[in-house]
Amino acid sequence: MRYCCPTSIEEAVAILNTDEDARCLAGGATLVAMLNAELLSPSTLVSLRAIADLDGIRHTDSGITIGAMTRHAVVANDQRLNNGLTVVRLAAQEIGHPAIRAVGTIGGAIAHADPSADYPTALLAANAEVEVIGSSGARTVPAGDFFQDYFTTALAHGEMITSIHLANADPGTVSSYFKVARSDGDFAITSMAFCGNFDGSTCTAARVAVGGCASTPLNVTAVDKMLIGAELGSDQVTMAAQALADACDPIDDVRGSADYRRLLVKRLLPRVLQRAIDQGSN
Amino acid sequence: MSKPQSITLHINDEDHDVRVQTQQTLLSVLRDQLYLTGTKLGCNQGVCGACTVLRDGVPTRACLTLAVDSTTFAITTIEGIVPADDLLPIQQAFIDAAAPQCGFCMSGMVLVAKSLLESNPHPTREEIREALSGNLCRCTGYTKIIEAIELMSTRSA
Ligand SMILES: Cc1cc2nc3c(=O)[nH]c(=O)nc-3n(C[C@H](O)[C@H](O)[C@H](O)COP(=O)(O)OP(=O)(O)OC[C@H]3O[C@@H](n4cnc5c(N)ncnc54)[C@H](O)[C@@H]3O)c2cc1C
Ligand code: FES
Ligand code: FES
Repeated sequence: MRYCCPTSIEEAVAILNTDEDARCLAGGATLVAMLNAELLSPSTLVSLRAIADLDGIRHTDSGITIGAMTRHAVVANDQRLNNGLTVVRLAAQEIGHPAIRAVGTIGGAIAHADPSADYPTALLAANAEVEVIGSSGARTVPAGDFFQDYFTTALAHGEMITSIHLANADPGTVSSYFKVARSDGDFAITSMAFCGNFDGSTCTAARVAVGGCASTPLNVTAVDKMLIGAELGSDQVTMAAQALADACDPIDDVRGSADYRRLLVKRLLPRVLQRAIDQGSN
Repeated sequence: MSKPQSITLHINDEDHDVRVQTQQTLLSVLRDQLYLTGTKLGCNQGVCGACTVLRDGVPTRACLTLAVDSTTFAITTIEGIVPADDLLPIQQAFIDAAAPQCGFCMSGMVLVAKSLLESNPHPTREEIREALSGNLCRCTGYTKIIEAIELMSTRSA
């Protein structure tokens, strides 16, 4: 296994395109665990550590851009991620524990595409865009198209993630994240993310994403529509929660049964909405 | 297996020239090549915290860190924080609070405690629990470890 540590994105892309079996190395939190378990044996590791352009959070007129190599701890502490984007900060805070948040990166987390991970669900609710680059240039993939299956993304061979872009939300947008795990620091049994607007306790815009309940994080347009005009605590919310649970396709695993996950989806929707309202009034 | 590469690691204020494979973790170099066995091998999956070292002062999993990717960092292991023939005040506090039992988790616990107290000399119980949340102990039930850190906090002005 070869190791290289390029200092520019162009150099990294060139290596990824000359070596069939090369892989990016970001924080290593997932990749090195897989090497230790002998689940992977790439021909080359392309460490992204020395590429300054991939690191950090930038504000632009159109929104916020998070570099692929930005550590979970940095996102978790960035108070500029607020209102409609709070959901991304809250998700980062929920990942693992301090030693994992100090090394793990947003690019690594979404490239791995574990449907129980925290970022994919939050980024789907926030309607984030993933900026990727390959030998034929850069392109932008909406979060909804990026996650394609268990541990499978829209990244083509030789492509890498450069950043995640979050567009400015409409004024008054609020957001929240709710994770249920067996213990603090574990992956979610089920998680839910919300971005939207309220007039008092009536929902006027909604984008809900569920994690841990299908091969990818899930956003169901029909459920988002059902929530518009729904008042918190009303039957309309209960019906939307049922529809969301019906759209899920969870599995039984060591963290919980499929039935338990569907039950959690029904319980989490009202809570994630309440949390978003509370956050808006703070 | 690929050919080993020569790298220099900065460990406990000394440069160490070692030959390593790309897939070799920092943990394996520390224990098997440099015989710094105070850093423990538990799960090798990032879950238990027994392999904790400080990387530029920040608690980090040595089992999730590749040696080849560590050359720009200052690494501190449990051996590196101990003054010759003496104990650090934080180690004395662990002893006074009767925190250690089998000791397997202790190098990780002490390094996390040291790093926490340097940035936050008087942490709340909640802050201590959060800092320790990535380090498993199968013996103590954690209470005395938390008390040791609180003891250290009351001893420093
Ligand atoms: C003990 C433990 C607990 C955890 N708990 C949680 C949790 O509760 N919630 C959660 O969401 N996650 C959790 N994680 C996973 C954690 O978030 C990882 O940090 C993350 O999945 C991988 O990020 P990384 O930077 O370490 O990537 P790496 O491990 O370096 O890479 C992961 C994968 O992404 C690829 N990759 C990395 N960067 C790029 C890029 N820029 N472009 C293309 N491909 C890239 C790599 O080739 C590799 O396939 C946990 C991990 C551990 C070890
Ligand atoms: S051995 Fe590294 S975390 Fe368990
Ligand atoms: S003292 Fe035995 S594992 Fe902690």
